Amino acid sequence: MSSATPAGRILDASELKRDAEERPDVCVVGSGPGGAVVAARLAARGLRVVVLEEGGHYPPEAMRMDEAWAYPSLYQERGHRATADLAITVLQGRGVGGGTLVNWTTSFRAPPQVLRHWAERHGVSGLDEKVLEPHFAAVEQRLDIHAWPVEQANANNRVVWDGAAKLGWERAPTRRNVTACQDLGYCGTGCPVGGKNTADLTYLADAVRDGARVFARARVTRLEKAGKRVAAVHAQAVDAATGRPTGRKVVVRPKLVVLSAGAIGTPEILLRSGYDPSGRVGKRTFLHPVVASFAMFDRPILPFYGAPQSIASHHFADRGPGKLGFFVETAPVHPVLAGISVGGFGALHEEQMAGLASSSALIALAIDGFLPEEEGGTVSLRGDGRVRIDYAFRPETWEALREGNKAIARLQFAAGARVVRSLHEDPVVMRSESDLGLLDKAPWEPLRAAVFSAHPMGGCAMGRDPERSVVDSRLRLHWLENVYVVDGSVFPTSLGVNPQETIFGIAHWASDHIAAATG
Amino acid sequence: MWRRSRYRRERILLPGEREGRRTFLKWGLAGTVLLAVGGGAWLATRRTRPAAGLSGPFVLLSPEEVSVLVALADRLVPARAGFPAPLDVDVPRRVDAIIAMSAEPVQKEIRQLIRLFENALAGFLLDGQLRTFTDASPEQQDARIRAWQTSRYTLRRTGYKALKKLVYAAYYGAPATWGALGYPGPPARGLPGPAPARQKPAEPPAEEPTRRARVPRESAVPEVRGLDPSPAPRSGMDLPPERKP
Repeated sequence: MSSATPAGRILDASELKRDAEERPDVCVVGSGPGGAVVAARLAARGLRVVVLEEGGHYPPEAMRMDEAWAYPSLYQERGHRATADLAITVLQGRGVGGGTLVNWTTSFRAPPQVLRHWAERHGVSGLDEKVLEPHFAAVEQRLDIHAWPVEQANANNRVVWDGAAKLGWERAPTRRNVTACQDLGYCGTGCPVGGKNTADLTYLADAVRDGARVFARARVTRLEKAGKRVAAVHAQAVDAATGRPTGRKVVVRPKLVVLSAGAIGTPEILLRSGYDPSGRVGKRTFLHPVVASFAMFDRPILPFYGAPQSIASHHFADRGPGKLGFFVETAPVHPVLAGISVGGFGALHEEQMAGLASSSALIALAIDGFLPEEEGGTVSLRGDGRVRIDYAFRPETWEALREGNKAIARLQFAAGARVVRSLHEDPVVMRSESDLGLLDKAPWEPLRAAVFSAHPMGGCAMGRDPERSVVDSRLRLHWLENVYVVDGSVFPTSLGVNPQETIFGIAHWASDHIAAATG
Repeated sequence: MWRRSRYRRERILLPGEREGRRTFLKWGLAGTVLLAVGGGAWLATRRTRPAAGLSGPFVLLSPEEVSVLVALADRLVPARAGFPAPLDVDVPRRVDAIIAMSAEPVQKEIRQLIRLFENALAGFLLDGQLRTFTDASPEQQDARIRAWQTSRYTLRRTGYKALKKLVYAAYYGAPATWGALGYPGPPARGLPGPAPARQKPAEPPAEEPTRRARVPRESAVPEVRGLDPSPAPRSGMDLPPERKP
């Protein structure tokens, strides 16, 4: 049926000369891995789909491999997204393609034990390894997800590979959603050659081919309710240069709404629409809090170049009851990201920056949300309407970050590092493995140790109990009949692996029953 | 210079703080005193020393605000062989552009933060320094930065982090600084020859594939194949246009 449908298109709402109104079958809010897949699979069934995306449309040829351009253009809040106290820098993509536009291509299926935890502790039903298997297989084929050859790993990733071998730790090449990858190292500033199979180049392109209309720079302000349904989605066009409303509006009156605005954006839209019947919207926001370690070697590492992430270790993913697990990956190092991350100021800061070409940057990501007492962060609205993110560190969170820091420093020493520094404002300087104990004496407190997140999850948790969750096990809002949430916000905990493939896969699965719901 | 009335009118607010809450009270006694005396105290009227060599106009910031950030940048990146001076890599225009791109409430908060950081009264009450930041000696300036960096009050550490990120993003965003880091810059564009074809994935492979066409690399610095030497200009870029000084 799709061949009979006229092709859709991607429009730039900032160029609208008059207000636009659409009456499609389905309105999808957000064009990342969740929204793009739902749009493609519903459009393929002949349904009329409109996608609203707040960010701009950047094809590969627009990408500049330049941080000073990329962060303001391709990231949330012009690259400044963070928790309210700035203790956690939150790197989150924004644009047609969502987070896939800037992520580092690492692709994992949801770990089966995490799905079991969701079933046992959070009342999620019908979502297990077996159910998801064909959906993961489908997205792996469409996105060409495959392991990156170890021999092609850059020197920064070799630190993990070689270090883990010496220490006898689990290690594995990561799988990446790339086809014509030129191994440049600029995934995080937008792939300039289309080598990364981002949501916009794959599923969203399929959706457009099958008739979907995508409005870029159309920021959803609120959902208009009518009884137990949403009657309209209201968006404002935003100016490309200033990010301010142009005055033009886009109103969509669909039969069904799919919110795929991400773990910060979806709660934000629901809260701005006055929808929070059980007080659970924006609660249980998990971030995979990240700590990093900078190590200097006596040889060039050139951490700027090559596939940013190609080796990972999940050796410490399960550290037993009462503790948060963590996993180990690498971070690409470019001047601005290094400059805002490295500890201290003045000569101390300069000394670390001067050694960048011989530096390795490893990260440990804490797996939050699995302890019974853990509530994670909160997404709420400020008085002026902007979104606010808070995150409650627990002693167990800091313990995991401290032990994670030790683990990545050990890997760096095992791979031959000369000196390893933590990212404290007063960096812990270690010259051999025997100095690791210095990390126990360091201050593990907000804004004394640098913490990052690139994986916002949760905030619209799925579950059986409407008083404790936001969507049901089929991702429909508990209290509204025609609204689904399909993005990382539905996770009841964090994931323990990079989330993009799980979001693609769950969206693929959810599309079937969302299609059925359109009647 | 800034008019005294500004200090009286505006409540001091740090990035990330809720509007409409007297968050300053969290600062304890010193903060309460500062709030009470407000702009009326003579210390708060002390002048900002203008940075030499500023070439405005700026999109958002006043020359005084830019001067504070330049003075701060001179301490965050003190003179060192190979590291260009902040003024020489256009830090004034770059910080101005970064702040100008932010949402309006964020702009307001950052400008308040800059003024508070510069303010002699705040410096006196919190750090025992009688000078504005721009008028202080390099040693006093380092001590002031250190006081914010290590403060027992989270709010001051938040302010330090905001200023640090702003200045370092502006400085290291400048290509002229990259040589000091041993960063050769992004790959050269326009290498002759076609780009590797974008292949449509075929049937799902029977086994986990690990090998794909490898792009041979002769030097340490990668090069991009089949791409124009410079990105094509297009409308709708997210950044304000470059301004000539």
